[in-house]
Order: sequence, then C-alpha cells, then structure tokens
Amino acid sequence: MTRSEMSTKKLLIILVLPSVVIIFFVILAPIMFSFFISLNKASPKLGGIDLHWRGISNYYNFFFNDPQFWLSVRITLYFTIVSLMVELIIGTGIALVLNREFFARSLVRAIILIPWAVPTVVNARLWEWIYAGNDFGALNGILKVLGILAKDHNVVWLGFDTPFADTPILGSFFSWMGVSRALNMIIIADTWKVTPLVVFLLLAGLQQIPKTLYEVGSIDGANSWKKFWSITYPYLKPVYLVILVLRTMELFRVFDIIYILMQYSIRVVGVYTYEIGMKFLKFGQGATLSFLVALFILAFTLIYIRIFYREEV
Amino acid sequence: MKKILILFLALITLSVFFSCGGQKTEGKAGKTTASEKPEEIHVLYMAQAAYQPEDVQGWAKLFTDITGIKVNVDFVKYDEQHEKVVASAVAATPTYDVFSLDLIWTAEFASKGFCVPLDDKIASFKDDIPQSIMDAFVYDGKTWAMPFLANFQLFFYNVDMIKRAGFSGAPPKTLEEMVTMMKAMQKKGIVKYPWTDSWNQKEGLTCEYVWLTGAFGGDTFDKNGKPIFNEGPGLKALQFMVMLLKEGLASPKSLTNDEPAAKDDFIAGQAAFTSNWTFQYGFLDDPKVSKIVGQAKMGLLPVSKDVLGKYKYNTASVSGFQGAAILANSKHKEAAWKWLRFCTSPIVQRAYLTEMPVWKSVATSSYAAKMDPTMGIKAKEIASVHHRPRVPQYTETSAILQKYIHLALEMKMSPKEALDKAKAEIEKL
Repeated sequence: MTRSEMSTKKLLIILVLPSVVIIFFVILAPIMFSFFISLNKASPKLGGIDLHWRGISNYYNFFFNDPQFWLSVRITLYFTIVSLMVELIIGTGIALVLNREFFARSLVRAIILIPWAVPTVVNARLWEWIYAGNDFGALNGILKVLGILAKDHNVVWLGFDTPFADTPILGSFFSWMGVSRALNMIIIADTWKVTPLVVFLLLAGLQQIPKTLYEVGSIDGANSWKKFWSITYPYLKPVYLVILVLRTMELFRVFDIIYILMQYSIRVVGVYTYEIGMKFLKFGQGATLSFLVALFILAFTLIYIRIFYREEV
Repeated sequence: MKKILILFLALITLSVFFSCGGQKTEGKAGKTTASEKPEEIHVLYMAQAAYQPEDVQGWAKLFTDITGIKVNVDFVKYDEQHEKVVASAVAATPTYDVFSLDLIWTAEFASKGFCVPLDDKIASFKDDIPQSIMDAFVYDGKTWAMPFLANFQLFFYNVDMIKRAGFSGAPPKTLEEMVTMMKAMQKKGIVKYPWTDSWNQKEGLTCEYVWLTGAFGGDTFDKNGKPIFNEGPGLKALQFMVMLLKEGLASPKSLTNDEPAAKDDFIAGQAAFTSNWTFQYGFLDDPKVSKIVGQAKMGLLPVSKDVLGKYKYNTASVSGFQGAAILANSKHKEAAWKWLRFCTSPIVQRAYLTEMPVWKSVATSSYAAKMDPTMGIKAKEIASVHHRPRVPQYTETSAILQKYIHLALEMKMSPKEALDKAKAEIEKL
C-alpha cells in the first residue's frame, strides 16, 4: 500500500467516524440497553429505573405462561395477513388500470395518492367519524340515504361481534383468532390509506415490462389471465417481495390506528406492548415484547425470501 | 494526513472545552440572575372535562401578577397524564413541579415516593373539606395531594320521554323502576335504546361498574384491597349491565362509547337515561349542541329496590376526584405549594361553580345555592360515592377488570365466569 493510499484510507476513516459514533449512540446503544432491560425486571423509581436481573424469564413467561400474548399474536397475524391480501389484490388491480392509457391518467394517478398523504392519526379520526354508530356516522348516513338501512337503525361498525359466530367451525375459528367486526373495519380503514403506496410501487414495476412481450403473447393467443401470470407476475416478483417485507413490518407492529379507534379493546402486539411497558410500567417486559415483535418480523422476512428464492430456482 | 487528523482532534477538543466552559458561564449567569429572574414552575393538567384550559391559564396569569412566580401549564389528555408524570418522576430533573393526581394513582405514586406528603401544610384547613374527598388522597396514613376537583357521576333523565311513556315525569328511584319505564318507552316506540353509557374498555367502564355495584349495595374490593366483586353486589351489577344489552334496553353502541360519546347520544335524544360525570349537565340545555333543550334533568342515581334504606340518600355514585400534587424531585417545592394553594383555594372555586367545590364553606354557602340550583343534588350524590380500590397496582387491576367486564358485555363469557377470571388474575398480581 502506497503512502497516498494509506492517507486516503485514514481520511475515509476520519470522515466516516462521526457517523459511526452517532449511529452507535442513537441506534445501537439504545437497542443494546433495551435488550439488557428485557432481561431484567425494570420498574420506575424516583430519579431512575429499578433493575433486577431475571435472565430469559421474561421471554419464557410470554411464550409459556401468558395466553394474552398468544391471543395478541393471533389477532396481529389476522390483521397482517388479511390486510396484505386485500392491499395486494386491490393494489394490483388499480396499478394495472393506471398502467393503461386513458384520458386524465396523470390526474387520476395524483388523486389516488391523497390517502397516502393523510397522516395516520388524521386517518384514524376520519374513520372514527365514518364508522360512528349513531346518526352522525357517515357510513350509517349514506346507507340510510340509499335506503339500505332503516331510518331508526344504526350499525355499530366498531362493534365486537364475531363474524360468522353462528357457523359452527368458522365461528369458533374467528372467535379463537380474536376477530371482530371492528377489526375488519379497521383493516378497511388502513387499507384505504396504504393501498396507494402498493399501487405506486407496482406501477413502477409495470413500467419496466417491455410492451413487445404482451404483443408476442397476443400473437400466441394468450388471454389476459395467461399474460398476467406469464409476463406481468414474473416481472413484478421483486416488487411484491419489497411490498411484502415492507408492509409486513408495518402491519405487524401496527399501533396508532388501532389504539386511536379502540384503545385497549383490540390488543394487537403493538398495543399490548404499549400497555405492558407504558401503562403498567413494566419496562422489562415491554422491551421483551418489542424484541419478540422484531423476531416475528424477521421470521416473516426470511420466509418470504425463501419462498421467492425457491420459485426463482 | 497527520495534519488533518491533528486539526480534527483539535477541533473536537476545542468544541468540548467551549461547551463545558459555556455551561459554566451559563451556570454562573443563572446564579447571578436568579434573584432578578422570576421563579418558574411547570404544571401538568388534563384538557378534558372539568376546569377548561382557558380557566387554568387565567388563574396562572393572576397568580403570576400576585406572586411574581411564572406558571407554565401543559394540558394533555387524561389518558396521557399517568405516563407523563412517571416520565417526569424518573428523570433527574423533572419536567413538572405540580401535576393533577387522579385518586386512583394515590397508592401507586405514594408507594413509589413520586410525590410529597402534604399533611403539615394542610392541617390548618383540612376540616373544611369533606372527609370522603380527603380520604381519597390518603395512603399509608399520609395525604399526598390537595383536593382540587370533586368529580362524581350523576343520573341524567329525559323528563319528556318519561311523560310520553305514561309516567309522571319524576325520575326512577330504583333500577327496577327504571327498567319498567324503559320497557314502556320501547313499547310505545319513543326511543329505540332507552339507556346509553360509556362502556368501552377504558377506565370509564370500571367507574360505571363501581357505582352499579354500589347501587346493588356493595363494593368491588374490601377494606384490605381484596377483590370481592365476583359474588353478591358485584355479580348483580354485571348481570344487570348484560341484561340491559340482552333485552335491547341499552344501546349496543355503549360498548364503544367513552363519556363524551355517551353524552352525545343523550343530548341527541337517542336515550332516555344515562349516568355520567358532572360535566354533562352543562350540555343539556345548550341549543348549539343539544336536541333536548328543556327536556332533560340531572338527578340522583337510582339503586336496586333491595338496597332502599341502606344509604342515607338512597343513591350510589363513583368518585372521580382529582388532587394537585407536588413531584418529589421538584426543585421548586415552595413555589409549587404556593400555586397549589392558590388554584385549589375557596376563592377560586367560588368563581367556578360549574364544578362542585371541594370546600364545605363554599358548597353550603347561600351564594352557591343561588348560583347553582343543582347544588343540593350534587351534595347528596357526593356524600354517596364509592371509591375505586386504592391499591399500588391499580392501573393493572383496573385493566383486568375492564377486560373481563367487556368480555361479558360482548356476551363472550357469562358474568360469573368473567368476574371469577378477573378475580383470579388480580390476585396473581
């Protein structure tokens, strides 16, 4: 290594060093401290935090002694899987439409982005008014105007009825999963906000597909469905992987929309973590739950990558 | 390259040196100007029911004019208060000096030493505050907050609907009588769901359950803080709530309502009866928001017919008292006490009679009776309050209770099973 190369290397180290120091103190150190806390019984005391070493017992207790934890996992899984399915199906449909040439396409593309621009808290409040189970609720109002609902009847959209409660196996399954009408309504509210992101990611992917492939497909007599599976889907696979990983991360740690609309009535893992950590002030257990959420997301990501990788092989 | 490295290290050293020096200078300046600069305290208060932010800001301004002590008030939602207080208490330098302490936090904060006992300071005037209010802030033999807000639940009834159902218009004295009235209203198509309430899974649900348990003649916990709600009055209370839903007398929306939403149902004319905090009274006859102007009244909460004669005023309610407390790590305890004494003083409360004064001398004055015709009802109801349990792990205890009561209301568990499970979980804490 020449002297000049040595100097360049040192200069690079010096330039990178401040960023590394900042990242260490702002990201790595808090994560390490949080992990340390998760191995303790940590509770607040005047002027600080009281720590008592507990090893992995916090993790063990959540896995083997806490039915609420597993109920929260089931509710969160339902929320994540159903939301992802709805977002991907609707998102793909809208993206395919927006990829075609039509009058005022740019305007429609711009308008469709609006829900994505709405802050989550505002979105939650907006849907709170839409779903209000009284005369002031927008959805009830519209259904009454359309004659679908009787004038003196209001549906409690954020109610706790289990879907298909009277259907033997399905009702029991939904009840075991912790599914309620409110949860399904929140999935719709969240989907409304996030689908534009899915649409635009897919649209970007669609624009990379050469049109000649579709022309060749048409000559070979392929119908739209065949063209989608043989041309569009293979091209969009990397985009789907990005969407799946990104949205799974966001959906599995969902907190704000559910907390604003339902407080602690629907305990997804995020709400349960907040309740344990910030309401009951069990900082150690709260930190444990945060790491468990991270582990679940990691597991999901690995599964996705494996599935997509295997398909490509 | 070495030169660059030396220059970089020199810059870091200089910046560290100057930042330390800066702090020293600032510290010195702070010391020298401390006598000239007015003292400043930070107060945490809820922006919800009861005294409104503009009222409190007005007091703060007046207090600064009188004492020269600057008061900064942070208004947060009730649900955010607890964690803000904790965050301030665990810090080496607290964000707040004074905070509003809900009576349910007394045991928790006192046992952790988050606030200072005030017994020496209040000894001379505490006899002018009713014992039922004072007791709410006592834990381990010491008083941890100065009573500030005497909130409690009252009964609201629509006289017009009662008359249309064929009754005299007087409020029901018993829960059974109320059920009869509600069924008559439904039969005549006067109102679809005669009862509305705040039964969403929040603290309000515990409050509703506590007063109803009282209405059936008991308490949710015994004097030693042991849960007793799974039989007798506690069980009857939950069975009553479930019955109201099953019979279609209570609005199913109650399960998602908080107190303001229950109030909205009532003033929209969508219910004939409800229980709520004192704040609801101010909305009944406000033409800007109410559709039932001149139709509704506030009265005493009814009790079960089996309990008639047990309580002095044949009513039962739940306390929602708030006190003002001083954080133990505050650096301005004297100034904090001055503010606390001022904002809870009889003269301030006399000027805001929309809320029930905590002072006997104010509540029983002819001036109060003249200004607020409901003062007599309020005085009877406040004397009939039941407290929620004073246990250090109250937040968790209440959350368990809320979860299981809600499951019973959702008809996913029988009242007995729900309360048994709640008791077992609470005993494990």
